[in-house]
Amino acid sequence: MAYLSTIDFFEDKNFLDRWKRNLKGDLDLSWMQAKTEKIAVTPENPRRGLTFRDLDKGTYGFTNQPEFERRNRSFAPRGAELPEGLPDVQAEVSQKGEVWAYNTEGYYEEAMTRQWNATLDVPWHDLAKTELPDEISRAYAQLLTFLTEVEMIATDVPAEWMGKLNNNFTEVKNFMATQVMDEARHAEVFRKRALTTGYGLMKASPQNEISLKQIRDADSFAEMSLSLHLIGEGFVLTLFRFSEYISPTEADKKMFRLVMQDEARHVGYGVQHLKWVMRHFPEKREVIHKHLEEAENMLFGGGNALEVTEPFIILAGKGLKKENIEQGAKITAMFQLKQMEEYFERLDKCGLGERRKTSKLHRAMELTRASLQEAGVIA
Amino acid sequence: MTLDAKLSTYMAYYLEKDFFEDVDMFNLVSKVMQGDLTLRWYNADTEHVRLFPKDRERGLTYEDCNVGSYGYDHMPELIRNNYSMAPRGSELWGKLPDLGYTVNRKSEVWSDNVVALYEEAKTRRWAPAVDVAWDDLTKTPLPPNLEAAMAQLCTFLQECATVVMSVSSRWIYSINQEFLELKSYLCAQILDQARHIEVFRKRALLGGQGLKRASVTAEQALKEILGAETYIEASLGGNLMLGSFLLSVYRQIAAVAPSLAERKLFSLVTQDAARLVGYGSGHVRYYIAHLPQQEVKLHSYLDTAEHCLLGILGSEEYLEPLIILAGGGTTPAEVKTGSSRVVRFLSQTVAAYLERCERAGLQGRAQRSRLPQYLQRIIHSQ
Amino acid sequence: MSIMFPSLSFFQALQNTMRQEEARFRRLGFIDTTFGVHVLGPHGQEWRYLLAFEVFDCREVSEVRDFDLTATDFVLQGDLAAWTEMLTNIQRNKGADVEHSLNTLTHFGERLQMIYDDPDNRDKFFRFQESIQQFFDLTHTLELEFPPSVSRQTATAV
Repeated sequence: MAYLSTIDFFEDKNFLDRWKRNLKGDLDLSWMQAKTEKIAVTPENPRRGLTFRDLDKGTYGFTNQPEFERRNRSFAPRGAELPEGLPDVQAEVSQKGEVWAYNTEGYYEEAMTRQWNATLDVPWHDLAKTELPDEISRAYAQLLTFLTEVEMIATDVPAEWMGKLNNNFTEVKNFMATQVMDEARHAEVFRKRALTTGYGLMKASPQNEISLKQIRDADSFAEMSLSLHLIGEGFVLTLFRFSEYISPTEADKKMFRLVMQDEARHVGYGVQHLKWVMRHFPEKREVIHKHLEEAENMLFGGGNALEVTEPFIILAGKGLKKENIEQGAKITAMFQLKQMEEYFERLDKCGLGERRKTSKLHRAMELTRASLQEAGVIA
Repeated sequence: MTLDAKLSTYMAYYLEKDFFEDVDMFNLVSKVMQGDLTLRWYNADTEHVRLFPKDRERGLTYEDCNVGSYGYDHMPELIRNNYSMAPRGSELWGKLPDLGYTVNRKSEVWSDNVVALYEEAKTRRWAPAVDVAWDDLTKTPLPPNLEAAMAQLCTFLQECATVVMSVSSRWIYSINQEFLELKSYLCAQILDQARHIEVFRKRALLGGQGLKRASVTAEQALKEILGAETYIEASLGGNLMLGSFLLSVYRQIAAVAPSLAERKLFSLVTQDAARLVGYGSGHVRYYIAHLPQQEVKLHSYLDTAEHCLLGILGSEEYLEPLIILAGGGTTPAEVKTGSSRVVRFLSQTVAAYLERCERAGLQGRAQRSRLPQYLQRIIHSQ
Repeated sequence: MSIMFPSLSFFQALQNTMRQEEARFRRLGFIDTTFGVHVLGPHGQEWRYLLAFEVFDCREVSEVRDFDLTATDFVLQGDLAAWTEMLTNIQRNKGADVEHSLNTLTHFGERLQMIYDDPDNRDKFFRFQESIQQFFDLTHTLELEFPPSVSRQTATAV
């Protein structure tokens, strides 16, 4: 055992005697007078039910939560009375600013009511009757292979970090629980869709995997969240939007709309978290820039992996003929430009607009824009 | 370590190259974007399948996908060939990273019912904000002593749910990606527990008494359960033992619930807890069936860990409010009724847990366990 | 038209009503269990019914001579008075109150007992609890008749 309780319950006389007394009706009842705040909560909007926002009062709320959690290192829920003797569960993150995001509680409640089911909510039976041209099926199967490949990173990593957060960060932990389930669902739906194409799964993507390992090996919550929520999922959100646009069937469009909903919440958390950090800890600016440099490298490497780019070209151009590929390449370049533009827009909103001046990714984006303008694809 | 220090001193992982300076990649991508595709993925060396739902009403389940090299039946006992993110059945090529998985043996994680439980968990999801009749609870408040008891129980149950959630979340990261269906089930289990933390917090705070006292005895026991050093022990302690306890508690509270809204609330959490126990039982059974020589180690683990169940059962932050709810109040007569119901409940809880152990393949657990004799000693001291 | 309890027609009526409320039961999720209902009459009569649920539906109801516990997840067994008290309560309140829910009645086994062979299969009662309860709660949409001696007892007790 990695930990042994400080009490041996089979042997502790005080414990066993007190239990016997309880069962004889001799109750202590001191917990009834627990030194906790007595507040009333009601659903502000009965149609929305009772939400975490309704509970945001007094010592129970997240608004009044102190920046540093100094007292509670146990499993006790925020606001409970903390008697002597509670174990230290070795939380590694006990600073609010490292995890909090505006609207965390809103994202959580939304996630709980917007869970969908990959097994039932995609019209699989209809898809089984759908015949796609061979090159489209192959390209789509490859894109889906990449998508199912990367999703479980986004499950593993939040799951790991959940356990390291101080238990007082209830809303953040719960939000991450919804992300964990969302990503498992994404891995599932993309895998299932690949297995209905007639081709199954295709090739893994080493370049992507090597890049994304950075997220898995992040050594702080802040680093992980920047890499995963803001950057990785931001790019994937744009990818889902484009995938919906180039989807070969209506059922696939629906599938991408559903995954997009989930992804938008994750990106929302990432953006709001960075906003919170920039507002409350402006001194972190340079450190964040340093981190973003390596994270952008991750993105650039992964985004140019041919197991993603080439199927995208074929799907966007709707075929393998020269004219299809030409058209597909233009659309793909526009998509890549869009990915980068949206990323920098998010940074602008977080107060990191100066990133454009120093970022290699931004230079790459400008080069892409220039070449598309030269080709007459965009104005 | 401050955020500053964490972000500035080092990163644990640096990519093998600066892709912005990678001329080869740049040239290759340029060629591709000019129409010269490599198509090196086009003829992937993988099995061609076209799956569809066997039961249209049920949809396309993971069981439907249990085909050929994609299926979970096809997985070997030991995963030696894949430590990456590459999905089972895809073509592995090039330099795929080692993600450091430390749980790579199928019988260490698998259960024959895990796929069914995952599909069931998804369809039986519910949302505390809207699926509990909070309005009804507000309109008919409980007498203060019953409300205090409910608030204390809900405080205690949040502590338990936190640990069950942590058992799953702690191990997912270490389990090989090949065990996709199992990892997906653990994700569903994590969401179930988050939901329980949410609903118990909301119920506790709705009544106006606030949260009550955290439980030292329960938390010490819970930390010991969470500290299991192997996944099988974590599952045995967390899913089967602790899960069995929670299933019994939820059931008991549903049976003595002071309102219909609370009956439904505890009925819904009961459903989730029953899946947890179902996986725990199935997991241990699978493990013992494939590694029978390990049964003795599991018994040995329980010989030490079962005192945690005793600790939780006897925690006053759980026992006293349960007595009050079961008896309907704090008068001597009500407490007497409550105590007698709780005595029966405790015996039933331990009996049900030991029955599940036997079913899971831990033969002779009922005779070996110290729980029944200790419980009898406590009960019969009355 | 009133339906006698216990009878196959009663369970068929519940089955049909469940199908009419498909959206509600679908929302509750998959229900995959086969369980028995065993009613013990005051003069040694016995009625046995098997209810098979699959996906979102009550696929089959049948009257059986005996239960094969290896093929049945669990059996809810109780005397006729207990069953009729529960159903009358459901009709009166449009759904079982806390004292008459299946969970409460089977909890300590005083009114209804749960018979099973495999505790894992027995646990399906808990996994699908809300669906099973709401299935029986559909009784409030039916007009019921009980055997005469029970009718008099139930009218007094409830």
